[in-house]
Amino acid sequence: MKFMHLFKKELKEMLTITTIMTMVFTVVIMVMAGSAMSGAVEDAKEESGEITICNLDDTEFTKAVLKFLENPAGGDKNEVKYVDIQGDDYSKELDRLDIKNVVIIPKGFSEHIENSEQATLIYVTKMTSLSSFSNISTGSSNAMNLINAAVKSAFYNSKVNSGALSDKEVTMLEAPITIDETTIVADRSEKVAASLIVAATQMSNMFLPICVFILVIYSSQMILNAVATEKLDKTLETLLSAPVSRLSVLSAKMLAAGVVAGLNAIVFMFGMSKMTESVTNMTSESVDNLDEILKNLGLTLSVGDYVLVGLQMFMTILITLAISLVLGVLVKDSKSAQSYIMPISLMAMIPYMLSMFVDINTLSPALKYVVYAIPFTHTFTAIQNVMFDNMTVFWGGFAYQAVLLVVCMGFAVKVFTSDKIFTMTLSFGKKKQKEANNED
Amino acid sequence: MENVLEVKGLSKQYKPGVYASQDVTFEVKKGEIFALIGPNGAGKTTTIRMISTLLKATEGDAVVAGHSILTEPEKVRENITYLPDEAGAYKNMKGIDYLKFMAGIYAKDAASAAQFVERGKEICGLGDRLNDKIGGYSRGMARKLLIARAIMSRPALAIFDEPTSGLDIINALDVRRMLKKLASEEGMSFLLSSHNMLEIEYVSDRVGIIAKGHLLEVGKPKELIEKYEAQNLEEVFERVVKL
Repeated sequence: MKFMHLFKKELKEMLTITTIMTMVFTVVIMVMAGSAMSGAVEDAKEESGEITICNLDDTEFTKAVLKFLENPAGGDKNEVKYVDIQGDDYSKELDRLDIKNVVIIPKGFSEHIENSEQATLIYVTKMTSLSSFSNISTGSSNAMNLINAAVKSAFYNSKVNSGALSDKEVTMLEAPITIDETTIVADRSEKVAASLIVAATQMSNMFLPICVFILVIYSSQMILNAVATEKLDKTLETLLSAPVSRLSVLSAKMLAAGVVAGLNAIVFMFGMSKMTESVTNMTSESVDNLDEILKNLGLTLSVGDYVLVGLQMFMTILITLAISLVLGVLVKDSKSAQSYIMPISLMAMIPYMLSMFVDINTLSPALKYVVYAIPFTHTFTAIQNVMFDNMTVFWGGFAYQAVLLVVCMGFAVKVFTSDKIFTMTLSFGKKKQKEANNED
Repeated sequence: MENVLEVKGLSKQYKPGVYASQDVTFEVKKGEIFALIGPNGAGKTTTIRMISTLLKATEGDAVVAGHSILTEPEKVRENITYLPDEAGAYKNMKGIDYLKFMAGIYAKDAASAAQFVERGKEICGLGDRLNDKIGGYSRGMARKLLIARAIMSRPALAIFDEPTSGLDIINALDVRRMLKKLASEEGMSFLLSSHNMLEIEYVSDRVGIIAKGHLLEVGKPKELIEKYEAQNLEEVFERVVKL
């Protein structure tokens, strides 16, 4: 009985309207994020299943192979899109045809097979993002496997059935085709497998979002706790009644938090560059000149790129500080302080998760702009935008963040320099501010 | 005697018809201890916060050492110190560093800052404990440090909300004696706010009784006791509020 009495009291204290609102907000945000993720993953899946072929070796043999590709024995029918690649500038051609990858059957393909020589297939991929789902191409891999199987089958029928095989023909039967892979990033291309590039850049792709996420939460907690503690301990009243301007108090607080957060950003960026370097070195042991290839593809960051990404990160931190400062003012007691960080955590979590798995630029327009409205998104995508030459998106995001920073800072200054610093409270649906009652 | 504080028709309205304090008028003379007494929600803290330039007055004005809270809040802050009720200090700071930090804000140069710190050390009487972090202080020790901080810069007007809250009887008595001494010997003026009528009766030169945002009565404790034929200030308060 007494336990229940105590339990009810504890529950009542913990389950406040703020906690409930936070829960509701969390659910809404998570549902939105989930729907965005599943939509994006579905799109990626659909896109990855597409087979695009360019048959430059227009022979009866390749026609038969492609027929097999469309109707594989014992398998589901494949929808194959045929395109015409004109010239060697694959980047331009893929852009012209608006496709992400293509399997090219080069001229002389059949002749090589007929001469019992390994034939080469050209596989061209255009990478538009480092996120996991945007680089899956099950359709093309499937196509290459099927072409291999078709060639094997044709070769088997024509050679094995005709009698004994030479050593060269046995080797040929084991691996009738080789794949010549080309990967394109923006307008740069290199003869390297996209999977290798993804493997080499995976660490940096995973690491930056984690860094940004930690920084956002860290900065947010730092300033929110600083303001909330000063308010609850009434040291803020002491300070604001001292011969020092409120703007100086605010600026000092923001600058100190900005310096600490900026230091963190620099340390994280330094750590990331060192880690990326180590990972690239490790991967390049298995492939000659991988670091050179990554550099040529623009997938390594120059000092200038690090500065740009660092600037974007710093901008995000300043926005976080301004929002957290206002949230800190709203804190009524030490218990509620943590719940006020929740909106920022959730706002950071959406782009954090999305940027790791999907290319945000490829989301549906409505969803894309909702995600872009979250200021942190632009920092999560900053490295990829720099690497993939999406500088319009980068600077657009930067400009948006700058405007948002001015708005948030303006609001923070307004709160800090007015009575609101002492009287502002959140009242979910209750009668508007009971300020007078809060005062003695 | 010159007035250090002149409060004229000071009001704080939060929304139409809702006043936290209304048309409050009084003055504090140089070397005087003036106390605002009243129940919870009477408007004491709001009045004090307006005088301390923390809240903006919606009507009226207050002039501190010749400077208006409306037009020269920076100048006002140079002449006051404010000690809120149940105020804390920076827990991760050492006591001595807190005094140095606050001295740095109030002093015009390094020499004055050093003087303020020496005076602060003397007033708080915390000795070697000043080298400990404030987080480890008892409530009483922290309060003594804060009182020292508020007095060390010799402001024209020191504003204390519940000056002895958290202090034991001995320390509270010490503080009361110190306030009286500072007022009489150094000419410092004090504006106090308290629920503790006995303390106010002992320490104040004049009191203002405030209820529901209105200043109902102002006078010397003895005169008020006589006027209302009461035994003490508590009875005066009761009678004034009931009127």
